[in-house]
Amino acid sequence: MEARTASTTELVDSGKKSNYHRSRLIKSIIFKIVMSLLILIVVFPFLWLLLSSFKYEKDIITYPPHIFAGKYTFQNYIKVWDTIPLLGYVKNTVVFAGATMIISLVLDSMTGYALARMEFKGKTAFYYFVMVTMMIPFMVYMIPLFIEMNKMNLLDTYTGLIIPRATTAFGIFMMRSNFVGLPRDLDEAARLDGLNEWRIFTKIMLPLSKPTLMALAVFTLTNNWNDLLYPLILTTTSSMRTLPAGLALFTGQHISFYGPVMAGAVISMLPLFIIYIFAQKYFVQGSAMSGMKE
Amino acid sequence: MEEIDTSVSKKRSFFRFWNQPKHAAYLFMAPSIIILLFFMVIPLVGTLGLSFFDINIFFTGTKFVGLDNFIQFFHDQRAINSMWHTVYFTILETPTQVIVGTIAAAALSRTTLFNRFSRSVFYVPVICSLTTSGIIFSMLLDPNIGWIPYVLHQFGMSTPQFFRDATLAMPSIAVMTVWKNFGVTMTIMLTAIQAISPSLYESAEMDGANKKQQFFHVTIPQIIPSLGFCVMTNLIGSMQVFDQIYVTTAGGPEFKTESAVQYIYSRGFSAPYQLGYASSVATILFVIIAVLSISSNLYMSHKEKQMR
Repeated sequence: MEARTASTTELVDSGKKSNYHRSRLIKSIIFKIVMSLLILIVVFPFLWLLLSSFKYEKDIITYPPHIFAGKYTFQNYIKVWDTIPLLGYVKNTVVFAGATMIISLVLDSMTGYALARMEFKGKTAFYYFVMVTMMIPFMVYMIPLFIEMNKMNLLDTYTGLIIPRATTAFGIFMMRSNFVGLPRDLDEAARLDGLNEWRIFTKIMLPLSKPTLMALAVFTLTNNWNDLLYPLILTTTSSMRTLPAGLALFTGQHISFYGPVMAGAVISMLPLFIIYIFAQKYFVQGSAMSGMKE
Repeated sequence: MEEIDTSVSKKRSFFRFWNQPKHAAYLFMAPSIIILLFFMVIPLVGTLGLSFFDINIFFTGTKFVGLDNFIQFFHDQRAINSMWHTVYFTILETPTQVIVGTIAAAALSRTTLFNRFSRSVFYVPVICSLTTSGIIFSMLLDPNIGWIPYVLHQFGMSTPQFFRDATLAMPSIAVMTVWKNFGVTMTIMLTAIQAISPSLYESAEMDGANKKQQFFHVTIPQIIPSLGFCVMTNLIGSMQVFDQIYVTTAGGPEFKTESAVQYIYSRGFSAPYQLGYASSVATILFVIIAVLSISSNLYMSHKEKQMR
């Protein structure tokens, strides 16, 4: 309705219309140029990394730098496995981040479920306890955690890496918000049908929570995959390092061979990037949830 | 026969007891609560406790020293500098990231194909680790082979040393961090902007407000809570800056980029391995962060009440 009245007035006043359209067109072109520039700033480092990882060392360290090289090679991707214990890093990262993701999905949804849909003594206290732990930064308690793990002989073990990360306050918060949103009468009907509490949780509630579980899964996976300080503290031998910790220690301030390091960097981010392409929605949802206020 | 019966009924009543929601809840929560307690809360208390001890990583010659560690902190110029560097990084990083992220969100709030593509691209650095970002930027900013010094040189500027220059190192790290993280702020702000009811814009338009006025008088007031959240989380996150510094400069040149966490790490986990003293610095940093987060929380809830 509105559009029609607008077009009739525009017809009456065609001079004004073309002016208006021109300024809009210019604005949209400027907008696209600025955004494209920003896209370039974001994308260029990655493209350059990817391209350079296929270059010969001498083509990487030229000045002035070139985007393209005359010849390309897989050499860096072959050499990197010898120069850096990358295979071990990949394995450690997959085991640590993968296991942590699965276990924390189970534990976080269990706790979130209890806090969302069960009435029990001390519920508010437990809820605040979880919320407060969300505000405690890792660096504040890392030294005693290191000592604790050392005393329990869990340094440099997968168990030691996984257990402290097996639940997160944010995950509990996220799952709780999810379960609060499910219809009330669902579990009551199931209870009348004689299902026990565990069955109600696994057979009815969890299947309804797949989108949130996916968002939480990619969120925890990304966090643990990329974390640096945590694995740096809880592992002391090179053979237990994860990708970020291993690469960081290997490159340090001074990089002696650029090619293999670049290949290593590409390999370290490739898995998450592939998952991102297919599950982008869930990545974004996780970030958006972190901004949700009560 | 009877014995079996009682054991079965015992089992049954045991099951019935734990199957009531008011009891089952504890079983559901137990693993998480135990983990949070043992691997977070107890270590947190431990940090405060360790602050009063002279203790090294080999646990030799441990002794109670009272407040000595805290007194040492105020005479330790490197420790105090590390706090200032952290504050400096926070001042550089937080406002930039929030502004860039919010503008990107406002500019891309309409769902067109181009906007959706831009949003997906801007989120890519978020999934890239700070280690990888650090490696990329170390090379891009390298004065001998890097693109950025080269491009600046083409515009007639002298080639700066970036990560190796005492004045430029921290701003470089901050810019890199904004590059990596503004996608998070954008996503949060986008959710907030898209949640604004279109009727607010319609009535503003009827009152004769142009696009700019609409942005400042409709959009901004509506997104204040989310904006506050972004500022707060960013502040708290920046105060813990470590990864990007560890990878790019490791605190150099001459400790000019050493952040508080970097200092705690190198004091505790490299020579002289003083876990006690490092804990006291961690305690001080925690107090600062706690004051920041509590006061900004109070301020935000006060603001929200005012707006209602």
